[in-house]
Amino acid sequence: MQRHRQICAAPRRAASETWSVITTLVVETLEHSPAIAAIDVTGVMEVAATAGRMLIAGGHLDRHPLVVAAAPVDLSIVTVSGTEALTTDENLAPVPGGASATGWMLYLPAPDPLADVVRSIVAGSAHLNIGQPPVGATAKTAAMTEAPGLVDLAALARRKADR
Amino acid sequence: MSSTSTSTATYTRTQTAVFLTDVVMGTIADILADLRIDVTALYRDWKQDEAAIAAWIGEASLEQVVLECHQPSGTVSPILEFPVAYRGGGAADAKFTADRAALARYRAKLDRVPPGTAFRLLCTYRKTPSPQPGWEAASRAATSGLRLLRFGTLASAPDATVSLRYLRSERSI
Repeated sequence: MQRHRQICAAPRRAASETWSVITTLVVETLEHSPAIAAIDVTGVMEVAATAGRMLIAGGHLDRHPLVVAAAPVDLSIVTVSGTEALTTDENLAPVPGGASATGWMLYLPAPDPLADVVRSIVAGSAHLNIGQPPVGATAKTAAMTEAPGLVDLAALARRKADR
Repeated sequence: MSSTSTSTATYTRTQTAVFLTDVVMGTIADILADLRIDVTALYRDWKQDEAAIAAWIGEASLEQVVLECHQPSGTVSPILEFPVAYRGGGAADAKFTADRAALARYRAKLDRVPPGTAFRLLCTYRKTPSPQPGWEAASRAATSGLRLLRFGTLASAPDATVSLRYLRSERSI
């Protein structure tokens, strides 16, 4: 299920503090998974922070969401800046479903003119990417994670061998 | 009742400082990225610069933030200035606005710079600023021979506004 969260940025929070709030939300969502270590998520979020602060301060994250794809979690996060940031209600509670996640990826927006900067920052991390998750990728992983008995892997292997 | 008023005023000033600092830092990031200048130092020092600029706007000591582009030839151009104008007593309507769309159009007019161009951030003051980590006294590059273009107001908050001025060498005009 796709979830959306709005995080208030300036003037309620500076860009650095806003990124810290986003980091806490992502970590607390994923740390319940036995397959994902909170310290690893925190480390990746620290790497992404270099891009995240610029995206927030430039107002880019107001218009272009970052996405956490960790099936069954499909979390889209945007910021709210300006006068609206003082009145918008936030939901900072962890997103349900994180306990079932077996893997995760953070997709950062790469808008003009920061595209190359964001691209260089995500390069080399197995958990960072740019743009949006491929359509259907999250759902497929979710199905396999939530209902492992629905696919008979042995039968699938036999069928491939018969071809 | 007076303590409530004081508290509210301080709160708004802090919000003004946070908001204008974010707009300035975000604009600097966008401009450097647009000019393809290495931003490693910007994101390395982000938290300390963000905190310093916000503190100085909060205490109304900051006159302007200056972004200098140092080309390999020794030429310093363009230079972008972000002067802060403080309002006495704050504006009646507590609005925080930034003209990011106009800035995006304006960025397209910036002169390109050669590869290897580096940047330097400086601040000038209207009164003695509080000391901030990572910042020390420095001199600005000369601006003689540069032509000044005004972008106008970049962002507005209840207690202050920030504008953008663009200085570039006559040769590129």
